[in-house]
Amino acid sequence: MSQPIRQADLEAYLDEALPTQEMARIEQALRKDRDLVRLLAAIQARRDAGVHSLGEIWRRHRLTCPSRDQLGAYLLDATAKEVADYVTFHLQVVGCRLCLASLSDLRREAAEAPEAAETRRRRYFQSSAGYLRGR
Amino acid sequence: MQEILAQPRLMTPASQSDQLLIQRIRQGQSEAWAELIARFEGRLLAFVESRLGSRSVAEDLVQETFVGFLTSLPNYDARRPLESYLFTIAAHKLTDHLRREGRRPALPLTSANAKTSSWELPDSARAASSILRSGERRQLEETALVAAMREQIEHWRGRGDWEKIKCLELLLVRGWSNKEVAAQMGLSEQAVANYKYEFLARLRSSVRTQGLPEEVFPELYQGQ
Repeated sequence: MSQPIRQADLEAYLDEALPTQEMARIEQALRKDRDLVRLLAAIQARRDAGVHSLGEIWRRHRLTCPSRDQLGAYLLDATAKEVADYVTFHLQVVGCRLCLASLSDLRREAAEAPEAAETRRRRYFQSSAGYLRGR
Repeated sequence: MQEILAQPRLMTPASQSDQLLIQRIRQGQSEAWAELIARFEGRLLAFVESRLGSRSVAEDLVQETFVGFLTSLPNYDARRPLESYLFTIAAHKLTDHLRREGRRPALPLTSANAKTSSWELPDSARAASSILRSGERRQLEETALVAAMREQIEHWRGRGDWEKIKCLELLLVRGWSNKEVAAQMGLSEQAVANYKYEFLARLRSSVRTQGLPEEVFPELYQGQ
C-alpha cells in the first residue's frame, strides 16, 4: 500500500526536494485529485503570507545534510559507524534529493572518463562566460 | 584527516573558500568562473538528470543554471552557502521546464489573489489573521529560528543523540506522525513525543527571548 501524501511532501514537492520516485507519485496524484491541488495552492499562499514552516526551514538551510567531504568519506567506507548510520538514514529514509545528487556525482566522478566532464565544462563555460563582469 | 572522518561535518553557512571564489568571480576572473563550474556542474547535472531521464535536456538546464547564477550575482548574499544557492536556481529551471512540458500543475491561486483563508492549512492551529511584514523582517525571523534549531541539533550531535535528530527530521522534514516515527525507529510513541516536546520547547523559548511574533511559527504552538 502506498504512503499517504502529506503536507510536508507537498512542501518538498514545491521545492523539487523529494526523491524522484516520490516526485513522480505526487505529480500523478495531482493530475487526478483537485483537493490535493488546492492544498498545494494553500501551501504556496501560506508561504507568500510569510508563515514559517519548521520543515521547510530545516530543509532549506540543510541543517543535517552531510558535507561533500563527509559524503565522499561515506562512499569510501571511511566514516565512524554512527555517522555512516546517520548518512544512510538521511539518504534512504529522509531521501534528501540534494545529497542523493551529490552522492551520485561522486560515484560518477570515479567512473567517468575525464574527457567527458571536460567537454561539458567547456560548453558551460563558453555559453556563460559572456555574462561575467567586465567581459 | 582523522577528524574529518570521525566527525560529521554537517552543512554550514558559506565556506571561506566559496566566499573567495565568489569574490574573484565578481571581479570578472574567468579562471574562477571555470573553477566554480568544475566544482559544481556534476552534482547539478545529477540533480536535474535524475528527474528528466534525458542527459541532453539536463545539460541544457545546467547551462541555464550557470547563466542564471551570473545574472543574479549582484543580488547574491555571499553568506549563503553557494551549493544550496546553485541547487535552488537549478530547481527553478527544472520546475519551469516541467511546467512547460505539462508535468507540473498550474496552481489555482496565485500570490496576487491569495486571501487569508486560503493559507490556513488544516493543521495550522494558530494561523494568524494578518501577518504583513517586510521581506527583511521575515528573513530576520527565519535567521533567528535557524540559529536556535542549529544549536539544538549541534547539542544533540555533540552528545551522540542521533536518535533524537532522526526522530525530529522525520517529524518535521517528512511530516511523519509520532506513531510512524516510533515504528520506523523502534521506539515508543511516548519517547518520540518527548523528543518533539524537548525540541519545540527549546525553539519556543528562543522565539520568546528574541521577541519574535508567535503567530508566524504556528507549528511551535500546536496542541498547546
